[in-house]
Amino acid sequence: MDKKEDSIFDLIEDLKPVDPQAIAEFERAMDDEVIPEIVRVVEERRMLAAESRRRQLKC
Amino acid sequence: MYIWLPLSSSADLAQLEQHIAPEYSPKLVAQKLSGGLSNAVRAVMVEGDYVDKDYRSTYYNFYAKKGQYYKADCVRLHFFDEMVSFGDKTYRLTCADDRLEDHYFGYMVLRPTGIATIGRSILSPDVRNGARGFVITAHHKVHLLGYKLKIQGFPSMDQHVDISVCAHAACWSVLRHYSERYNIYREYLTHDITMMAQQFNPGGLVPSRGLQISHAERVFQEAGTFPVHTARDVNKTDAAFYRQLSAYVESGFPLFAAMHNRGHAIAVVGLEWRKSHSALTLGLRYAWDEVESLVVVDDNHLPYLSVPVTGGTPYSAEDIDAFIVALPEKVFYPADAVDRLAPTLFKLGAVVDLPKPDETIIRYFITTGSALRSFVRGRESEFDPRLLQTIMTLPFSQFIWIVEFSTEAEWAVGQISARAVIDATASLRERMPLWLFHNRKHALVFNRKSVALDLATGMGTLSLADTGHTAFTRMDQNLRPIQTK
Repeated sequence: MDKKEDSIFDLIEDLKPVDPQAIAEFERAMDDEVIPEIVRVVEERRMLAAESRRRQLKC
Repeated sequence: MYIWLPLSSSADLAQLEQHIAPEYSPKLVAQKLSGGLSNAVRAVMVEGDYVDKDYRSTYYNFYAKKGQYYKADCVRLHFFDEMVSFGDKTYRLTCADDRLEDHYFGYMVLRPTGIATIGRSILSPDVRNGARGFVITAHHKVHLLGYKLKIQGFPSMDQHVDISVCAHAACWSVLRHYSERYNIYREYLTHDITMMAQQFNPGGLVPSRGLQISHAERVFQEAGTFPVHTARDVNKTDAAFYRQLSAYVESGFPLFAAMHNRGHAIAVVGLEWRKSHSALTLGLRYAWDEVESLVVVDDNHLPYLSVPVTGGTPYSAEDIDAFIVALPEKVFYPADAVDRLAPTLFKLGAVVDLPKPDETIIRYFITTGSALRSFVRGRESEFDPRLLQTIMTLPFSQFIWIVEFSTEAEWAVGQISARAVIDATASLRERMPLWLFHNRKHALVFNRKSVALDLATGMGTLSLADTGHTAFTRMDQNLRPIQTK
């Protein structure tokens, strides 16, 4: 019979649930602003690296 | 074969010309050393007939094929302080405290190539004139006269000019550091680096015509690392580029850095913090804003050249427009993502309170879960036992990003207000790529044991007891302070 694995949270004493309101603004910012910005910046950085790759180094 | 040269000052290094054959360019080497080494160097041991594996790799594959005769052996110079003496009959190196290693400043190999003769060198940054700040180093073993010495430093050499250029030398320096620092990487010799840059043997002098940065990337891939190539738009200011540069250096990763306006490549191996904090940068600041200069290994200079952020000679950090960091596998969450996520953590202030954004300095870097646990173990008294238990219990990925938040006053004394632990294996689009976020009063703990993270059950908070400390210690682990001698 499979033994249900202890949640990591069961091992930490006095851990309390988080009030969803306390993290709502963070979640909204991540969804609406930060993740799209991260995806855009990473793609932009990839393009800049592609341009930079062919530049010559010699001295 | 062994010549001992006591020095009253580094100017006495001119004596080298009398003892070393001209094909090793002793005059030029002496000039370079006397200007670049401090007067703490009070003796040089000249070791002749030295078989240098790096030079031999180029000798077998290039110099031996030339019509002009080149010697197969090198000369090696060893640098000591005033406490060491040499018995020319017994060949014994002695010092009063019997701790020879404490009085040794490293070595420099001279190649018999007539030009650009400075080969493989490991010098202590402590005796380099003008070197300041903190530097990435490894312990390098040295065998001399039956003694096994160790020197802590970063490898450097001049480019060969004819068969290798600055970019080869920078790749070699970084990879030689890796092979000494991490046992999963093998050693690559100078000629190996030349070959690794190309898909086929280019033969002859082709390598001296220069490299593209893609070739350097290929060298690091061939060496078994996972290189990340980061570039900036040369026509725009890009603070995030430099924040990432300093973050990787602080993580202990030396960087291959390119300055395309100069066609030059160097290795960035350290940095120096500003002595006093200016109010030049208003609002939220990052560790990069507190950097005064970078420490670089440039094959045109002795190692540990200090390069100011701006307005420097021969160049400044702002001339760097691309870098390669040779990462281990399993760092998937990019620095650009950490750079954007870090300021967003202020929005969790209802759970983990932070200083005001315009009074905060953010610092981020990569480390391992075990390094974090070891750091915390060494400072148990700073942590509420439940927070310590949490850090010891969370199943961190091998690599983690750490984000630290400090006020200016805390920064000045090496302390922080809060710390976030981000999963370096997280995906770009993760909403909560964190393991832990805590200050002195509260901790936010994330359960990453399930991919389908249910925010109701996948997060928890801890209220922490006052441990009597006003702040946590900043996690400075990877760089060694330069102690000028």
